[in-house]
Formats: sequence, C-alpha cells, structure tokens
Amino acid sequence: MGAAAAVTTPVVELDRISKIYASGRVHVEALRGVDLRIERGDLLAILGPSGSGKTTLMEILGCLLQPTSGVYRFNGEPIHTIKPDGLARLRGEEIGFVFQSFNLLPRLTAVENVELPLSYRKVGRRERRRRALEALERVRLGERTRHLPSEMSGGERQRVAIARALINTPSFILADEPTGNLDTRTGGEIMALLHELNADGTTVVLVTHDLAIGDQAKKRLYICDGEVQDGAQENRGDS
Amino acid sequence: MNVGQILRSALLTLRSQKLRTALTLFGMVWGTASVVFLMSWGLGLERMIDEGFNKIGNNVVHIWAGKIGEDFTPALDRRELWFSRDDVEAVRRGVKSADIVLPESRGWYSATYGETMLSRDVRGVEPAHMIVRNTRIAAGRMISADDVRSRRRVAVLGSKTRHELMGAGARLGAKIRVMGTPHRVIGFLEPVGTQLTRDADEIDDQIWVPLTTLLGQRESPIENEEVIDIIVLRAKSREVFEQLKREVRPILSRRLGVSPDDEEAYILVSPIESLQNMPIGRMRGMLFVLAVTTLGIGGIGILNMMLDSVQERRQEIGIRLAVGARRRDVVAQFFMETLVITSVGGVLGLVFGLVFCLFLAGLQVPDVIPLPIVKPWIIWLALSVMGIVGVLSGIIPAWRAAGVEPSVTLRAE
Ligand SMILES: Nc1ncnc2c1ncn2[C@@H]1O[C@H](COP(=O)(O)OP(=O)(O)OP(=O)(O)O)[C@@H](O)[C@H]1O
Ligand SMILES: [Mg+2]
Repeated sequence: MGAAAAVTTPVVELDRISKIYASGRVHVEALRGVDLRIERGDLLAILGPSGSGKTTLMEILGCLLQPTSGVYRFNGEPIHTIKPDGLARLRGEEIGFVFQSFNLLPRLTAVENVELPLSYRKVGRRERRRRALEALERVRLGERTRHLPSEMSGGERQRVAIARALINTPSFILADEPTGNLDTRTGGEIMALLHELNADGTTVVLVTHDLAIGDQAKKRLYICDGEVQDGAQENRGDS
Repeated sequence: MNVGQILRSALLTLRSQKLRTALTLFGMVWGTASVVFLMSWGLGLERMIDEGFNKIGNNVVHIWAGKIGEDFTPALDRRELWFSRDDVEAVRRGVKSADIVLPESRGWYSATYGETMLSRDVRGVEPAHMIVRNTRIAAGRMISADDVRSRRRVAVLGSKTRHELMGAGARLGAKIRVMGTPHRVIGFLEPVGTQLTRDADEIDDQIWVPLTTLLGQRESPIENEEVIDIIVLRAKSREVFEQLKREVRPILSRRLGVSPDDEEAYILVSPIESLQNMPIGRMRGMLFVLAVTTLGIGGIGILNMMLDSVQERRQEIGIRLAVGARRRDVVAQFFMETLVITSVGGVLGLVFGLVFCLFLAGLQVPDVIPLPIVKPWIIWLALSVMGIVGVLSGIIPAWRAAGVEPSVTLRAE
C-alpha cells in the first residue's frame, strides 16, 4: 500500500510557492508560501474572496506564470528546469486552461478559436475541424460555430473557451470560474461535463465563488490573502 | 504550423487589418520607389557631368591673349597682346604636362549656301583638333595636314550649321561661301549636344576651315603678322592642370615680354577648373543623404507600424503562447505577415520607381536635366534594404513580446 503510494507521483506538488507582483511602485504579495499536492484524478475546487490570489495560483499551475520563490513540480518535474519550448509543449498538450476572461481571439470564429491549440501540433486541417466541432458539441454550442466572439453572449464565449481547453484531451484541466457567467442550468451542464472528464481520469482544478459547486468537488482549498487557510484542503465527506 | 497555414493565417490577419496593412504597404512602396528613383537619378547626374566633360574635349585647356595688366604698366601703355606661331611652337616644346598643343584662330563670318546666309563661328584649325575637341566625323573627312599646308578652301560643318545652312540639300562636295569665298564641304561633324559649361565651344554651330586658309583670308589685326587667337592644349590628365599652368607661365611671359606675375597678359582657362568648382561632390552627397533619409523614414514608418501592431496584439500573442505556441511559432507568424507586406510593397515600389524613371526618360526634358539610369544593383539594393528593414521590424518586436510570460502578456491590457 505504502509502496503503491510512493510510485504514484502527484500531478502537482507546490512547495512554499510565493508570488510577488512588483510593478513600479506597487508591491503585491499575491501568494505567500503555498503548499499543495494534487493527485492524479483529483477534482479540486479553489475558493476564496476576490483578490485573494486564486487566479495567480491557477496561472502558476498552468505554467503561464513563474512563481517568485518556491518549487513547482509538475508530474514530478520541477518546472523551472524546463526550457521554454518544453513549457510550450506542456501548455499545448498536457494542460487545458479556461481563463476567467475567456481570452478568445476576437478575429477568429468560435470553431477557429477552438482549433487554435491544434494548429501548433501536427494535426491536419480536416482532423482539426472535426475535433473542434466535436468539442463545441460537447459544450452544447454545435449551432454557434461560425460566430465571432463579439457576436456571442458571455456564457457562449465561456463555453467556447472550455471547448478550446478540451480539444487537446489534456490530462490536467484548469478552469478559472468556468460557471461565472452561466445560468444555473448551463452552469450545471458545464459542471457535469467537468465531472465526466474527471471520471475519465482527467485531473481538474476549478475556481468558484459558488459554494454549491464547491461542494460537488472531491476536494476544496480555501485561500485568503494569498495564504491557504488552516486545514483548508479538505476531502469531501471527510468531516 | 506549416508554411501554408502560416501564410493563410497571415493573409487573414492582413485582410482583417486593412488600414494598417494599407499604411504599411504605402510606406514600403514609397520607400522602395524613392530609393530606386533617387539612386538612378544620381547615377544619371554623374554620367551627365562626365559626358558633358568629355563633350568639351579631352582635358582641353585654352590660352587666351589679353592685355598687359594695370599693375604692370601705365594705362596708356596697356597694349593688346597676341600669339605668333613661334609662341605656340615654344609652348609645344617646353610644356611636359600637355601632349597636344595647337594654334587656333577664329571669328564670326558670314556663310552662304544658295539663298541662305548665316553668321557663323568660323574656326581655323589643324587636324589634331578632332582629338582635342573629342568630336567625330559623321560623313566625309576632317581637314588634313595637306589641306593646311596648301591653304585649301575646304570646310567641315557642325551638325546644326549643316542643317541650318544646307538643309535637305546637304551633301559633301557642295560649295559654300565662307568669308566671301567659295569653300568645298569635305566633312560633317557628329552632333555634340549641349556642352556643360558656357566657356566651352558650341561645336554644333561652328564651321571649321584650315587654320592657314582662315589666316590668309582674314584681315589681320596686326599688320603682316599671322595672329593666333588662342593656343589649345590637351592636358595629360585632369590632375596636371595646375602644373601645366606653372610650366606655361615662364615660357609665354618671356616670349611676350611681360611679367610672369601678370595674370591679365594671357589667361589659361579650362573646363577642368570649372568642373573642379562644380559642386558634384556636394550633389552626390545630397542625393545620398536624401536616399538614406528616405530609406530611414520608410523604415521607421514600417518599424513603427509593426511595433504598434505587435503592441496591440500582445493579447493575441499571450493567448497563442497559452495554448501551446512556441516563441518561434509566434515569430514565424509575424515574419510571414511582414514578408507578405514587404514583398508586395517592394515589388509595387519597384514598379512605381521604374515607371517613374521611364516616364522621365520619355519626357522631352532639356539636356541639362539628367535622366535616371537604372542599374540592377540599384534594384537589389533598394529591395534588400527595404526587405531587411521590413522583415526585421516585424520579427524583432514579436520576438520580444513572445519572450514574456503568457500571463504577464495577457494581463497587460
Ligand atoms: N500584474 C499585477 N500587478 C500587480 N498586482 C497584481 C497583478 N495581478 C494581480 N495582482 C494582485 O494580486 C492579487 C491577487 O490577484 P488574483 O487575480 O490572483 O486574485 P483572484 O483571487 O483571482 O481575484 P478574483 O476572484 O477577483 O478573480 C490582487 O490583489 C491583485 O490586485
Ligand atoms: Mg481571478
């Protein structure tokens, strides 16, 4: 049993991670010594007030931002030792990131936005289109494939962003408030989708304000002022 | 992404940013066209000056007889000076930096053919004038040594004189009257065109006769003497002109009995001197500065446009990096976009520049305005400089923007 635990490397290991934003005069300590372990197949919800550092933490997990100090191991490998091209590969193949503000390319249609990650891998045009349409179906946007982001509602854009994160069938999905702009029903569908992916073995981390959604996660992490709250990483049903 | 994809996406972006694309394209077209034109025109200017120089003659130097200068004699005594054949002979023997030394006399006399009568600049010459004046015979022959020896009444006509005097009836062997006596036309000179400096001779308007013939027929200003109006020399090179002056002065001063310091007694003039005084260097420098400035302005325009473009598209760069683009993928994308713009702009600019050059060449401009000369190296230079500027200004900002962490790029709005 102990031996088995030792062989399974966690997907994520954060060791005293801190992040200081030092832009000009302002000096913000967004994360202060965060320790975190995320196991393969976890579904973790991160909760906390606005400005507490949730997005910062997500971006570090998604290899979009380097921590100021501390060590981040992704699948056992310290990411500060990975070269830029290696990080690009991780972002493109292993990690799917859903941004809080969607970050779609305004001049591309929904389906083209979803295809984007595939265009940096050796995938043919037809195959890309097929997979992008499939991903859009999964987020129930099969009807909106040729729209530009500006022609879609917030909820629809959010679903395009989710479809884009799914397209590469990543092993690790990070979603920053994926239901923030959705009504309860659509939000429920998105959560069902994330649960489905998680059931298939994908590790999922999501940020939410919605306690009900947090309650559906296997684990929860409370964060306040850049610090993980005492005993906050609880397992569902542990209490 | 493969090249086809990158190209497709580049065209898509360019199409969606029409104004920017148009402005950048304009900068590129303008830059290339002006560089092509300026350089070609500069080349034309240089050639014109060179040719003008040759039209006057091969490093020709004239010595004119004057008067004894005011500082050297009382006003009443300021007698006119003149050269004799012996003076010319003395100069020929004594001067080392000239390889040809010739006597020449001249005057404005009437020339008649049929009903036409003109007043023409008639030159009494020797065979070697052909060489010194750098002219060619279009038909017939030049005055020969024999003509000079025998004082033959023969004439060689400049191309304008030929047309104005003889018109369609121009033919060799015809008789024209020069200075009142019949002369046989033995040759026609090739047209020379506008000569660069006015102190030079307008050969096209002249009539050449043997020196001896002219001297024999005109009323001599000095009784019983054969007066040579000017001594014509050919300097061995442009560089020896000053030395030539130093060699001539002691010889002529002694022979004419004037002070070697008397600069008015006889005057040495040469287009070499006027050429040296012409601001060719400055003109060339100005054109160069103009070309470089144009290139600079075009380059800065493009650079600015691309910097702006990259700045505006940092969000896009961040997103692409976040979904797995490597730095070089981003750079390749921008490279392709600028490559499309610079090649289209470069080719268009080239066409415009060349068309403008052709247009100018087709215009009937006076010969004093140089015509552009297009050389392949000008085209290559303009294209490569503009191309390098364009492509670099696309790549460098993209390279820098893609080197920043995606999160930072994405948050900076
Ligand atoms: N680029 C930056 N420069 C300076 N300070 C920053 C920067 N980005 C974020 N911050 C600060 O860091 C802190 C954490 O920001 P973060 O975006 O991680 O919060 P959050 O928990 O995601 O908030 P929200 O729930 O509102 O999205 C905030 O105080 C924010 O002002
Ligand atoms: Mg946030």
